[in-house]
Amino acid sequence: MKITLEDLCKYFGEVKAVDDLNLEIKDREFVALLGPSGCGKTTTLLMIAGIYKPTSGNILFDGQVVNHLLPKERNIGMVFQSYALYPHMSVFDNITYPLKLKRIHKREMRERAQKVADMMGIGELLDRKPGQLSGGQQQRVAVARALIKEPAILLFDEPLSNLDARLRLRMRGEIKRLQEDLGVTSIYVTHDQVEAMTMASRIAVMNHGVLQAYGTPDQLYNHPDNLFVAGFIGSPPMNFLKMTFEEKESGFYLSSQGLSVRIPDKKGALAKQNNAPRGIIMGIRPEDVSIAPEGDLKAEIYVVEPLGRESLVTFRFDDEEIRALVPASFEGKIGDVMSLKLEKQKIHLFDPETEASLLRNE
Amino acid sequence: MILREKLKPLLVYLVLIISSSLIILGFLWLFITSFSTRTEGLRPLRWTLHNWSFLWESPFGPEYPSIWWVTLNTLLMSLTMTIIVVVVSSMTGYALSRMKFAGRKSFLSLTLILHAFPSVTLLIPIYFVLLYVSKIPVIGRGIPLLGGFGYNTIGGVALVMVAFQLPFGIWVMKGFFDNISWDMERAALIDGASRFKVWWQIMMPNIKPGIAALSIFSFLSGWNAYLIPFTFTVGRAGKTAVLSVYLQNFMSESVMTEWNVVAAVGLFQLIPVILFFLLTQEALLSIYGGGKRGGV
Repeated sequence: MKITLEDLCKYFGEVKAVDDLNLEIKDREFVALLGPSGCGKTTTLLMIAGIYKPTSGNILFDGQVVNHLLPKERNIGMVFQSYALYPHMSVFDNITYPLKLKRIHKREMRERAQKVADMMGIGELLDRKPGQLSGGQQQRVAVARALIKEPAILLFDEPLSNLDARLRLRMRGEIKRLQEDLGVTSIYVTHDQVEAMTMASRIAVMNHGVLQAYGTPDQLYNHPDNLFVAGFIGSPPMNFLKMTFEEKESGFYLSSQGLSVRIPDKKGALAKQNNAPRGIIMGIRPEDVSIAPEGDLKAEIYVVEPLGRESLVTFRFDDEEIRALVPASFEGKIGDVMSLKLEKQKIHLFDPETEASLLRNE
Repeated sequence: MILREKLKPLLVYLVLIISSSLIILGFLWLFITSFSTRTEGLRPLRWTLHNWSFLWESPFGPEYPSIWWVTLNTLLMSLTMTIIVVVVSSMTGYALSRMKFAGRKSFLSLTLILHAFPSVTLLIPIYFVLLYVSKIPVIGRGIPLLGGFGYNTIGGVALVMVAFQLPFGIWVMKGFFDNISWDMERAALIDGASRFKVWWQIMMPNIKPGIAALSIFSFLSGWNAYLIPFTFTVGRAGKTAVLSVYLQNFMSESVMTEWNVVAAVGLFQLIPVILFFLLTQEALLSIYGGGKRGGV
């Protein structure tokens, strides 16, 4: 089922929850709606589900406008953050509720319920009540209930947020695998960029109701369209430094008080083409900052955070901070001054006014 | 230090015992009086069952209904009123809690205002309304047992009680509905339920403490009601009397009041209430506690 959102807007009184959203989701695709709390992603999901009516704009399933269709007519399954199981019914009744409403025969109901429950690994729990299950089990029941009517679209509203970290990791892989096996078009709302990156084939990043970027994880990570996306995707987040952009005979340079870097000509030319102002914001990810003897700048260690596999070190120079991911064997102490090198090919440039990337068309 | 710690609960108990003993004293007197011919303070002069004779013969004469008929009236009135209040309140509460419609906010404020409204001021207008209802065929006077919904019928009294009980009921039910997560409803809507099915199959089972509490509350206020049944029925011991009105007959201004019989009849009206209350305390308290356990 292909889903298209055309100029979708949703107002709650004066508040603009979703602002002019245009999105296209291919059949069998797994798309994540990513963004901080209050950015409009859940509102968008509920509009697709039919719970909210759009203030303006259209929602199309396979080219047909479905704005007026009730949720039950849209052939969707939804998994909620709170699972939304019916506490007064057994697990079996919960899972088969959609079928009961369709008045399917008891025997067929039982067969389908058993099949779905076995697929989700909860086959023996059918007689229990939701209150007697663990969080992970409840969540599987919720997914089973969404799957049993063999929907054309699966909607997930932050389903893993209420699980502990370990279980979350496992369920991530399971949900991704499940979606691939079933081939159902899925939309997954989350504020966790790791979840979005690992699970989705394309991610739509939203902020304040506006779509910021829409692309594959690779595209968003390596070629972010704007400052927000660059800072939101990737953990630990990208470093942003205010620099001055200059073109000299020998090439393009970024400089600030303690730092002067020559950027590759291709990048500089692109930036110039995009009307880069003099005051510019440089972005560089912590993994592209390394400790090297003859580096680009000298900075003092502010704090060291060991992560096991590597360490995150925050450096300070000239009132600016820069974070670097260094090997675990790093032995610097607070106050040490070290020389840092920036990976030039991985430098991002942003316009401080428009916040747009100056490296578009790269 | 230890003495003071021991003293505090002791003091609390003392206060509680003193204040409750006054109340218990009253009930004790009631009980003793109903089984004796005369009492001096709490000391009965002679034990007798004569006061309870109203149980098997009508004290006012054969053409007047026995107390069992009156009890049936009271029961019917309270039950009818309770059922209507619960059904209407739960539907209204759901609509107010979940649905968006024009005038919702004003309706909500109206409910609150009506709850605080002095019902006494409306007695005369309601009399005229009930008179008018009496003229409607069937519903006015023709329903068996209830006698209809017009003036001087049990149904009519129940209707008026419903009107006065409804604002409270709506407010309480709305409160209970507000406590249920929206997600559960959304899931049901997506699963294919109609609004009505969501209300009946999903919401109501989760409101059970609320329904129980409201039913008990409404039933008790119906059972104990005096002013409204008195105003809208004819005759103190007539065919449409309820227990509280019936009790009035034993207190007269021309003949000396037999307080022992009054005590007996009062106790008779009281016993079901006490039993009921003892059995359902927890449900009643949940109105003020709110919230629900289990699930999200």
